[in-house]
Amino acid sequence: MFSIMETSWGRAMWNARDNLLDGLAITLQITGYGFVGALIIGLLLCLITMYVKPLHWPARFLINFFRATPIICQLMWVNYVWPPMFGWPNTLFEAGCVALAIQSAGYLAETFRAGIEGINRGHIEAGRSLGMSAQLIMRRIILPQAFHTMAPAIMNQFMVVIRSSTLVSIIGVSDLMHWGHHLSAEWFEPIGIMSTIAVFYIVVIWTLSSIFKWYSERLRNRYV
Amino acid sequence: MLDQFTSMVAGFSLFWEYKAVMLPGLWYNFLVFFLVVVFGIVLGLAFSTIRLSTNIVLRAIGTFYTGLFRNAPEYVTLVWFFYVPALLLTKLLGANVTFEPLVVAVMALSLSSGAFYTEIFRAGILSVPKGHVEAARGMGMSRTLTLRRIILPQAVRQMLPEFFNECVSVFKGTTLVSLVMVPDLVYGVNLVSSYTGQALPLYTGIALIYFAIVFAMTTIAEKLSNPWRDKGN
Amino acid sequence: MPIATSSDERNVVVKVVDLHKSFGKLEVLRGISLDVHQGDVLTLLGASGSGKTTLLRCINYLEQPTSGEIYIDGRPMGFRIDTNGERSNSSQKDINSLRMEIGMVFQQFNLWPHMTALENIIEAPQRVRKLPRAEVEGFAVELLEKVELLDKKDQYPARLSGGQQQRVAIARALAMQPKVMLFDEPTSSLDPELIGEVLGVMRSLAEEGTTMIVVTHEVGFAREVADRVVLLHNGLVEEEGSPKDVIENPKSERSKQFFSSILH
Repeated sequence: MFSIMETSWGRAMWNARDNLLDGLAITLQITGYGFVGALIIGLLLCLITMYVKPLHWPARFLINFFRATPIICQLMWVNYVWPPMFGWPNTLFEAGCVALAIQSAGYLAETFRAGIEGINRGHIEAGRSLGMSAQLIMRRIILPQAFHTMAPAIMNQFMVVIRSSTLVSIIGVSDLMHWGHHLSAEWFEPIGIMSTIAVFYIVVIWTLSSIFKWYSERLRNRYV
Repeated sequence: MLDQFTSMVAGFSLFWEYKAVMLPGLWYNFLVFFLVVVFGIVLGLAFSTIRLSTNIVLRAIGTFYTGLFRNAPEYVTLVWFFYVPALLLTKLLGANVTFEPLVVAVMALSLSSGAFYTEIFRAGILSVPKGHVEAARGMGMSRTLTLRRIILPQAVRQMLPEFFNECVSVFKGTTLVSLVMVPDLVYGVNLVSSYTGQALPLYTGIALIYFAIVFAMTTIAEKLSNPWRDKGN
Repeated sequence: MPIATSSDERNVVVKVVDLHKSFGKLEVLRGISLDVHQGDVLTLLGASGSGKTTLLRCINYLEQPTSGEIYIDGRPMGFRIDTNGERSNSSQKDINSLRMEIGMVFQQFNLWPHMTALENIIEAPQRVRKLPRAEVEGFAVELLEKVELLDKKDQYPARLSGGQQQRVAIARALAMQPKVMLFDEPTSSLDPELIGEVLGVMRSLAEEGTTMIVVTHEVGFAREVADRVVLLHNGLVEEEGSPKDVIENPKSERSKQFFSSILH
């Protein structure tokens, strides 16, 4: 700590630590809500395409639409178009969460579908032949196996949400990037400050993705 | 909600009205896309070779590069490159160094995509079964011949889907350049929106435009990689 | 309730009456009738496409017959007769409850990969028959001993050979203590040297008096272990009788052709 505090940017960051921590809190929250939202919307879309025949094509269109539009477009679309059209979301934070959610929802819907359809038919028939009910089969045979095949893709989308959360400042959310930017401009010390923030993101993301990679390997080796 | 919808559809005419401002923007997206893909592939080829080399130092360098740029959010990389190199060089050289936003953007995005391409190429080459290579070398084929006739055809076939996926991602990522002052389509729309105050049709419009382009790209990519998918698996 | 009226006084465990099954325009079963008595080992033989697997899968309603009737231990499978004699489809619950009395062994084993051998075996008795876990585990261990795989009880299927997996699959089916065991080409996916261990288990089951219906290409098994052999051709019963009669002295031309082509 000694040498960093001697630099002007180090001191600037230390003095602004409240703002930076607030920004970090916002980033964490928006990532969390966004990812959970993506799981829910993705699952809904997947189930609709599989089981609700009349809504199949609209749902598929939404899935493709969410997958194809860039996150920047989605952030702006949700923030500027949705409130006047649908009356919601009401805050910039909400808009950020929703945009992050729809970005990953499309991919997750596909992941869920592949996971469920990829279950070996024979395993299901073995369950049926033993007198298991459809619910029991879903709970004990389909979902556990689907989880193993889908886990890597789901963890990957979590990483996508984290990386995209850096962009919410463009619609005005006061996240970590916003404060980093603000500080750099205020103190005219972008090198130190932006580098620190960059290093922070890289360390966190690299650690998380290594953990996910290890876990994916473990899952794969157990049942293959 | 209905009147919002109708005013939005009416507002699509803005795209035609301001096409002079916005169409060149799209051209910037494609330019950046093309440059980033080309540089990315070059970096990918270079670093995948480095990561597959027998030299442990080289491999470490390669791993560091991919680790750094795959795990750094693109926006963070972009902003860092926007501020830091110019400032550093200015401080070091005393002269006032600035970079064109376009140069900065292409540099940052290429380094990022290069890291992803590296992983894709490396995985493709590693996916070729060792047995095939052993059979070739055992018959007396040279390293180069084996690479050319046995490894590369199979590796390319294996990695095409992911490669095209990454290219489409790169295209979607070109929208980021609007955040560092490169006048792409998003940048143009932002301008027109603040000028005319008509956010609804504009932002819905570009969402649809990008959707159309990306959807077309994905469909083409699928058609191109399908014949390879079934052959010889 | 219809009961067997044959001269054989033993219980009829499986009764098939004029069974038809079509897949779209293709009629695979064209009117099959047979009875399987308790303790019988019935072998279904026939060329591919003759309908033997379809017949087996109709018995436990994995395929829904187009017409005809199947009775398991006197109870109708897949349909129900009301008090006024009307026939209607039975509920999924009824089907599931009848399936508990039928054990099936598949060609592809179909062990659940995310559970160990022991867990595969105890899953259904515990959750379908709702028996207490300790009791079920005890019985499972006995079954594993019987198929000579006790030392593998905590292994995942990925670590077991094909023959071992199939033996666990047999134990899994037996754990429900079914009235009849169905075998759908149980050895067709196995390497030659592993076939013997599975056939050995099936033989000892037969010797214990298990009621079995076996679809197989292993004519040797049919000849040595089966009580009755049924030869299917194009969805109909071509020949029926004891192994000696059907295999060694087939009556029809087609039967003679079939056996000569697989026995040479």
